[in-house]
Amino acid sequence: MAGSALKRLMAEYKQLTMNPPEGIIAGPVNEENFFEWEALIMGPEGTCFEGGVFPARLTFPPDYPLSPPKMKFTCELFHPNIYPDGRVCISILHAPGDDPMGYETSAERWSPVQSVEKILLSVVSMLAEPNDESAANVDAAKTWREDRKKFNEVAERTVRKTLGL
Amino acid sequence: MAAEGDKFVYDPERNYDDATLAQIRVMENEIASQNNIVSERLSMQNLKDEYADADDVFKLKIKDLESRYHYMRRTRGDGNCFYRAFGFACLEMFLADSKNLPRFKDVAQKSRDELVSLGFPQFTIEDFHESFMDVIEKIEKQCSVTELSDIFNNQGLSDYIVVYLRLLVSGYLQKEAEFFVNFIEGERTVKEFCNQEVEPMGKESDHIHIIALTSTLGIPVRVEYMDRVDSSKCTQHNFPEDSQPSIVLLYRPGHYDILYSR
Repeated sequence: MAGSALKRLMAEYKQLTMNPPEGIIAGPVNEENFFEWEALIMGPEGTCFEGGVFPARLTFPPDYPLSPPKMKFTCELFHPNIYPDGRVCISILHAPGDDPMGYETSAERWSPVQSVEKILLSVVSMLAEPNDESAANVDAAKTWREDRKKFNEVAERTVRKTLGL
Repeated sequence: MAAEGDKFVYDPERNYDDATLAQIRVMENEIASQNNIVSERLSMQNLKDEYADADDVFKLKIKDLESRYHYMRRTRGDGNCFYRAFGFACLEMFLADSKNLPRFKDVAQKSRDELVSLGFPQFTIEDFHESFMDVIEKIEKQCSVTELSDIFNNQGLSDYIVVYLRLLVSGYLQKEAEFFVNFIEGERTVKEFCNQEVEPMGKESDHIHIIALTSTLGIPVRVEYMDRVDSSKCTQHNFPEDSQPSIVLLYRPGHYDILYSR
């Protein structure tokens, strides 16, 4: 069903180009390969990530949208729900059952009617409100919980770095 | 994974998330390699053989089933079995008797716009709707049962049909949310329930899903329950209760197959 996946990804790309959600740019790395996307996510206003522009990669499986893509930030990002290697760990990237992190039962899950846009919007909310109960980066979760000042400092340093300052 | 007997030591650098998922994938592949998605018609002897060493509760129930049903069709135990069994049995029924097919096609055709009006973005449901309509058109053209079986045994096509049936359930539950909210466990809205228990592939079905699918498509179904309940007969349940279904599913805890009446 790689043909169906391609068709769907093209439709999503078109949708995202015509109605881009605020603070998000996303599309295939090159038009030859629709299964690798690059996204740029602006740090949400009023948070310690404000002003940052964070690049990420999305890798889609051949049976997308039956299975979700994987998402990985390609910049440094110290955050409870991002593994130290950049991989994003939020509930919408997992189907129910695939949840070794034990997400809250009300959390949004992957299903074929989710979309790249929904994922990226969830990632923006994740940046704004880290979930320290299902931590992918234990160190970041601990800092977020116990030393918010330090967490904010690290975040601000990252923001400056992404802007090349 | 640590060897058995070793004391488990949590290593924060390790990614347990991936290890667990990899193990789930191995189990899924094992199930997939052992069974067709939807089997051929099998005699009831096949079910008997499976329970050759079982206790009397099951043996009596199989005898009861044998007296009323001629054949069965097994479906793969991948959490989608209810949709697969219902979808196949329903379409196969229309191959034998197409009297209600135009009404069914009409309901299916209109369902896409209803889902859009419930807030599903069109681009997320379009392909699934198309796959569903494609198979209905094949039935209209009187394809063979073998062709239908080939479609249901093609992982991609089969899954796309399952997704659409799941969307129909979700749509109906959301449309009738005021009623169904009373039957949902936990502090969840109907929409949350649909996002977690209906729309994702592999999530098993309960009564509420069966009620929704049979109601929205107007296709009644009978379920024969073969469980440990101490009785010599399987319990029957029709959805809706006062209907005369021509589709029969066999339920064993956690799994649905198809039955064919004598």
